[in-house]
Amino acid sequence: MSVFAQNQTGETFVLNLGPQHPATHGVLRVKLVMDGEYIQEAEPILGYAHRMHEKMGENRSWHQFLPNTGRMDYLHALAYNLAYVSLVERAAGIEVPERAEYIRVITTELNRISSHLVWFGAFVLDLGGFSPLLYAFDDREMILDLLESVTGSRLTYCYFRFGGVYNDIDENFEPGARAFIKRMRERMPMYHALVSKNIILMKRLQEVGPVSADMCRKYGATGPVARGSGINFDVRKHEPYSVYPEFDFDIPVYHECDSMARYMVRMDEIEQSLRIIEQALDRLPEGPVMAEKVPKNIKPPKGDCYFAVEAARGSLGMRTVSDGSTTPYRLKLRTPSFSNLILFGEACRGMLLPDALAFMGSLDLVIPEIDR
Amino acid sequence: MGTQDVQPAIVQFAQLDKLINLCRANSLWPLTFGLACCAIEMMATGASRFDLARFGAEVFRPSPRQADVMIVSGTISRKMAPAVQTLYDQMPEAKWVIAMGNCAISGGPFVFEGQYGIVEGAEKLFPVDVVIPGCPPRPEALIEGILLLEEKITGSRRWPRVEAG
Amino acid sequence: MAQGGGWLIMKREEIRRALKAVSPVSMADAEHPNKGYHLEVTVTPERLVQTVGILDQEGFFIETITGVDWLGEKAALNKEAAAKDAAKAKAAADAGETPTAAADAGPKAQDDDVLEVVYDFNRYDAVCRVVLRVRTPRNKPRVPSISGLYQGALWHERETHDFFGIDFEGHPCLEPLLLPEDADFHPLLKDFNK
Repeated sequence: MSVFAQNQTGETFVLNLGPQHPATHGVLRVKLVMDGEYIQEAEPILGYAHRMHEKMGENRSWHQFLPNTGRMDYLHALAYNLAYVSLVERAAGIEVPERAEYIRVITTELNRISSHLVWFGAFVLDLGGFSPLLYAFDDREMILDLLESVTGSRLTYCYFRFGGVYNDIDENFEPGARAFIKRMRERMPMYHALVSKNIILMKRLQEVGPVSADMCRKYGATGPVARGSGINFDVRKHEPYSVYPEFDFDIPVYHECDSMARYMVRMDEIEQSLRIIEQALDRLPEGPVMAEKVPKNIKPPKGDCYFAVEAARGSLGMRTVSDGSTTPYRLKLRTPSFSNLILFGEACRGMLLPDALAFMGSLDLVIPEIDR
Repeated sequence: MGTQDVQPAIVQFAQLDKLINLCRANSLWPLTFGLACCAIEMMATGASRFDLARFGAEVFRPSPRQADVMIVSGTISRKMAPAVQTLYDQMPEAKWVIAMGNCAISGGPFVFEGQYGIVEGAEKLFPVDVVIPGCPPRPEALIEGILLLEEKITGSRRWPRVEAG
Repeated sequence: MAQGGGWLIMKREEIRRALKAVSPVSMADAEHPNKGYHLEVTVTPERLVQTVGILDQEGFFIETITGVDWLGEKAALNKEAAAKDAAKAKAAADAGETPTAAADAGPKAQDDDVLEVVYDFNRYDAVCRVVLRVRTPRNKPRVPSISGLYQGALWHERETHDFFGIDFEGHPCLEPLLLPEDADFHPLLKDFNK
């Protein structure tokens, strides 16, 4: 703690951050008890984007819930699609053809890169740098063109179905994807040289928001937040699903536990996702993209089931309890940003307010995912 | 539906009104008010490919006191409704509201029997000038919405209308 | 980082041995490809904190906490029990024997409907998911809070309280998390009609 923080006057005031604020990514309200510029207590207040997804899970049939999955974390909507369809496929015992699995992996990894690009642009914007946002969104538009040609949407995808995907990729997809990989590999050194090695960014992020590995364990933090604290945990390697075991990729882990480490984890993940897409395109098999005998009114047998995938923000889990009917009895969504945000109150004690905003940006939150 | 009681101005202009409206229409300052998914498409419209700056509307102001138009992009939950109402009240005249996306128009995909959490459309809180349907609407749709608002303010449309096909 | 099946079997045995100390109501292995977890344990609310303490010492992290409303389960079980008794009595009558007392036949009907709290635990070093279940009566749902051991439970328990009305004893601040501050309804209960 610095000298200034030690000379506390004991006079505090309550400052309200949000719910409408340019730096809270969505509608998050944080009640701050401040001593000058230093935060004594921070309490996030949620619920401003609560859209009743779990209640809708009980009112809608298994198929009718599919559009909801794209709207929870709209930046990595395909991961939510994947978690939900894989959950129901696991519960009902449906096999997915190999080509569909490969297409699922390719599109999910492209979506992961576009999510990290939005995070990158918005994060540096919070710290005061406007230009990287424009470059990141420009790269992202290339991904959106590719995904739009396959799925039909730009943002809230609803592309996967039980038993496969509903639309096969066309002949322009593969050359487009390879051109994008090539272009992204040329752009990443520019991002690193201009942004990651920028002295201002480094000074603002290094040693800001230390989160120890034990703290991650107590709070259940996963994803880049845990990987920036030295925990080597990624659901794609840890509890493999789909066809991920067939690809050769690394999990970036940094041990400094500060915001710079979390930043570097996500930048390295973009490169790893490019590797996965390349390998998947090389090995894409021919065949159908939809399983043959998928019942129209799907009725998974009684019992509960859990499925976890690695979303851009961490380990995303969905748990369902089925009573054998056409609607779920209970659908629970375990979203990574929820567990990552609980850290905020504890980690912010004694921090300067601008540092707290840098820390919040490094957690990569999407509020509708937290509020569901 | 929400209404506003605004007293007419004491000083009235005549032909100068047209010029003032032309200036207002071509430099609309939106309020950064992204609630949910539509906010990302709003950001994409402000980015380089779709470039809202061409129409004068790229200066997103975080403070409602400095904004002309509130683009309600996303679902308004019941917990958030008082905050949205406060933001609308804090905007100085002349102000407009664009409801972007199905949720801001009528609750969107989250309306079901027995729903307890959302306000079914921004219309329930205050008057809306332009609605842009979509879930989320494309950036081109948002630009068209801004152009419709310009037409509403000035009375004529300077940009060509895009025909389908 | 997926460890081999041998490690998992060994770890699961280790956890089972450690958990015997809390005399769980039931403990069963689960097939991960079908269920998504490896071990499910049901304990009584009194033993919950001790069980979670054991899992904490073993190095698990809290993945999520949620609730399930089993409204109508008692009626369904009673119906099932009555049907089984009737079938047994009919079979005995058909065979020409005198019908015996039906008290020992069929599943035991429970006293009241329950709310179930489900805890999901996982590990960072290698996968081993443990699902912990606790049942509490629906008319007065009370479960001890584990937020002293896992601070992440602070919000998960608040959310479960929001949706189901379960009172987590020992939680420092059980205010609404996702619902408005003055909300007095619990939307995910099966008899919630608004």
